[in-house]
Amino acid sequence: MRDLLELAVSASATGCVYALLALAYLVMIRPTGIINFAVGEWAMVGAFGAFLAVTKVELPYPVGVAAVLACMFVVGWATERIAVRPLVRAGAPLLAPILALLGMLVVFRESVALAFGPDPYPVPYPLGFGRLELGPLAGSYQSFFIIGTTLATFALAWLFFERTLAGKCFAAVAIDRRAAALVGIDRTRVAALSFAAGAVIAALAGLLVGPNVSAHYLMGVPLAIQGFTALVIGGVGRVEGALLGGLLLAFAEQLTARYAPLPPGYAQGVPLALLMLFLLVRPTGLLAERGARA
Amino acid sequence: MKRCKLLIGALALGATGIVAGGAMAQDPIRIGVITDKVGPARPYAEPITEGVVYGAEELNRRGGVLGRKIELLIEDDQGRPDISAAMARKLVDAGAAFILSLSLTQATQQQQTVTMETRTPQLTPSNSGDTLTTQIANPFFWQTGPLGSTQIATLLSYARAKNLKRVALISDNSDLGQLLAKFFRAGLEKSGIQVAIEEVVPRGATTAEPQLQKIRAANPDAMFMAGVLTPENVLILKAYRQFGLKFPIHSSYNLSVPQYSTVAKGLLDGITFVDAYDPAKPEVKAFVEAYEKAKGKTPYNLHGYGYDGIRLVADAIGRAGSTDKEAVRAAMQATNFAGVMGAQGMKYRFPDGKRTGFDPEGMVVRVYEGDRQGRVVHVGTR
Amino acid sequence: MKPLARWLAAALVLSALAFALSSYHNDVYRKLLLWVTLALGYNFLFGVAGQVAFSHFAFYGIGAYSIVILTFQAGLPLPLAIVAGVALCVAVALAVAIPSTRLEGFYLALATLALAQLFIVVLNEGGAVTGGAGGLADYRLPAILGVRVTGPWYTVVIVLLMLGTMALLARLDRSWFGRACRAVRDSPEAAAAMGVNVARTKVIAFTLTSALAAVAGMAYAFVDNTVNPPIFGLENAFLLLFMVIIGGAGRQAGAIAGAVALYLLPFVLSPLIGHHHALVFGVLMVAAILLQPRGLIGLYDALRRRAA
Repeated sequence: MRDLLELAVSASATGCVYALLALAYLVMIRPTGIINFAVGEWAMVGAFGAFLAVTKVELPYPVGVAAVLACMFVVGWATERIAVRPLVRAGAPLLAPILALLGMLVVFRESVALAFGPDPYPVPYPLGFGRLELGPLAGSYQSFFIIGTTLATFALAWLFFERTLAGKCFAAVAIDRRAAALVGIDRTRVAALSFAAGAVIAALAGLLVGPNVSAHYLMGVPLAIQGFTALVIGGVGRVEGALLGGLLLAFAEQLTARYAPLPPGYAQGVPLALLMLFLLVRPTGLLAERGARA
Repeated sequence: MKRCKLLIGALALGATGIVAGGAMAQDPIRIGVITDKVGPARPYAEPITEGVVYGAEELNRRGGVLGRKIELLIEDDQGRPDISAAMARKLVDAGAAFILSLSLTQATQQQQTVTMETRTPQLTPSNSGDTLTTQIANPFFWQTGPLGSTQIATLLSYARAKNLKRVALISDNSDLGQLLAKFFRAGLEKSGIQVAIEEVVPRGATTAEPQLQKIRAANPDAMFMAGVLTPENVLILKAYRQFGLKFPIHSSYNLSVPQYSTVAKGLLDGITFVDAYDPAKPEVKAFVEAYEKAKGKTPYNLHGYGYDGIRLVADAIGRAGSTDKEAVRAAMQATNFAGVMGAQGMKYRFPDGKRTGFDPEGMVVRVYEGDRQGRVVHVGTR
Repeated sequence: MKPLARWLAAALVLSALAFALSSYHNDVYRKLLLWVTLALGYNFLFGVAGQVAFSHFAFYGIGAYSIVILTFQAGLPLPLAIVAGVALCVAVALAVAIPSTRLEGFYLALATLALAQLFIVVLNEGGAVTGGAGGLADYRLPAILGVRVTGPWYTVVIVLLMLGTMALLARLDRSWFGRACRAVRDSPEAAAAMGVNVARTKVIAFTLTSALAAVAGMAYAFVDNTVNPPIFGLENAFLLLFMVIIGGAGRQAGAIAGAVALYLLPFVLSPLIGHHHALVFGVLMVAAILLQPRGLIGLYDALRRRAA
């Protein structure tokens, strides 16, 4: 029982990281339809950014994080300008920007590999390394920090999409791009903003997971795959889906690793098998899109 | 028109280069190096290659081998074994007298197809997979990296006083990590110790807490780490410290790289690890000092593997008296050479037709004192 | 020239090349031909049939491992081992394809991505059968009717395999089945309305191209006489996709151009700029998609039009 509760904290923290990555995918997919696998590399850049800003330059943690996220806003915006907008304007099929962004993934990864070499770097903890016990719930400081930050981010995202006019513009573009343009919503600006927001959210995921996994140039792709899997499980229809998908995936992974009576090599395959099964039974994800309420 | 002139100029320059090259009195001895510049082996292939390059420069400063300079032909296999084999062919075609393999274990394996066929001497100074000399009987291949089986035997002889009965084994899912875990398990079972639990932290995991929980529940006498991925090993150490676990940790040689003292700061005290490097050895002190002077940075054990590798090759060619492949093969097999790697007084040898040259008694056990890699506390397997 | 004569001429020229090259260039040539063979199959699957699958390279691996295991562990004679290996791949492909046809677009991609990852797990965990992380070695191509094919002659075998794959797929592309595949790719609803069995068309295209990849894998197994897990890593599946895209999806000439360009790029760039070549690869990828969405073959068309 103690183990189970302890595992719940650890799995929730991991699930929150996956959920943030799924949210990064989601804010870009909804208005543009584009799946951007470079989110994992953005998370990596965020983690390296924290190393530079907080460990190297020795800015206070909140200032350093704010600086990194501001930079990532620009990176996301620039990525859209370089690799997406020209293709959308030329009327290329949807696969073209997805592939161009895969190319950008290689560019991000190799630039970091050139700048930092293959060695891992430590990413600073906001609260230090230690163990917190809240009644029966126990876990590292970082786990609780991840969970708190993620819940706050999701609350903000939910408020934005459900309660603000700008958020409704996003949703309108998501539902019908042409109609949105007719009522005067600037599609290109919405697309650019969605990429900027995606980069900020992905970098936040990298900042949060970085103290655990250290910043290194190969950390992006596994995060991109896990985040995408979480998105598929939760469905792209609603913001809460990303959170639910991330948590489900992380619990499946960690409960299998802890309790499944399997040789350790095969235990990694269980979440993959679950995913395939899930795709067959419910290909639209857990949470379906709400009707034309917006 | 302008471009045309440029082209002609470039061709002319190239031609004079060729003429100048041909006019040199003595052709250099060409040594092929296959390394990984972009793939999964890069984190260790890079420092090892730097060690090779430095070793060749030092040899050339002292007049080369057989009065000829050493010329390194360095090829990148991108961490892909099939390209590795193609690069071995390229080096053979280019007249390499010897090939040094610094990339993945499987890449070294696949190069052997070529070196066996063309009867070209090949050495890996760093790969530690036991299967390299057992899968194919290739008389032109040698391995001087410390074997996985030697690592576990050394750790076990150190831990013998602790009277271990049931232990945990943890590794990652990288190819080398899996290979080492296999040899660790075999070594443990051979000496009558039960592997109560074996766990794997997959590449890209964000926590090792489920695995460490399972190990905690099994309550082992000690935990053996066979993984080679630094970030995943750090996850293991974080979960271990966070849970406040007390059983001792004995690790493979991966914990001997200096990166841990920055990424695992505060987590390392008291952990024992096996190493092929003793900083107190006079040869090591001389190497470190000379390297720092020449390159302006401090080398560590991985540089030592490369440095020893090129000097082993030069030694064999020197004793063979020529670059004739059969003569070099015989000379290499008769090697008796003290390098920077290994315990005090260790020599690389290939006795009884063996082709693994790292003395099974030549590894050491060291203990972390705080975040610093401490002194040697045990030598060999006895 | 008659088509048959043209194929024969191509076979002759490509085979003659094998005898003219040094052993290094011959080795690169052989491996390049295998990539071309894979790209041709993947071009049919992705470019013509419109399926984004990442399992193509895994089937290449299944083919390579199965021939080695069936011949040297189960002791089957080579021709029988080839047939059994292909049958195995067809069975796996059907098992993946039949449920996957219910999935569309990126869901198929995800399912096949999972398959490719599971394949690597099985290779590493397979014990003595797959040789684990070290793979299998120490075998060589058995003699057929007393003849052992080696050196450049083995390159000729691969040339014939590549041309055979190309001819088969070209024929198929022009047939009723090829048109059905294109119709399903462009609009499944319209294809169904025209009387095409959408699910069956998808399953056949997937299974057939997967089996062709497996045959290429069987040829690979004897190129270096060793098979191991890193050869069949996931990144190759993406490289294959990029080859087809950069070359120009949906056309055989495009697949060939893409495979040649991307396979040889690191060989050319690495000596010039060292490990920056991976970054250049990424930049080229983005630039190619932005500037020439129809790939190298589109570029060639544009140049020819301008010349005319």
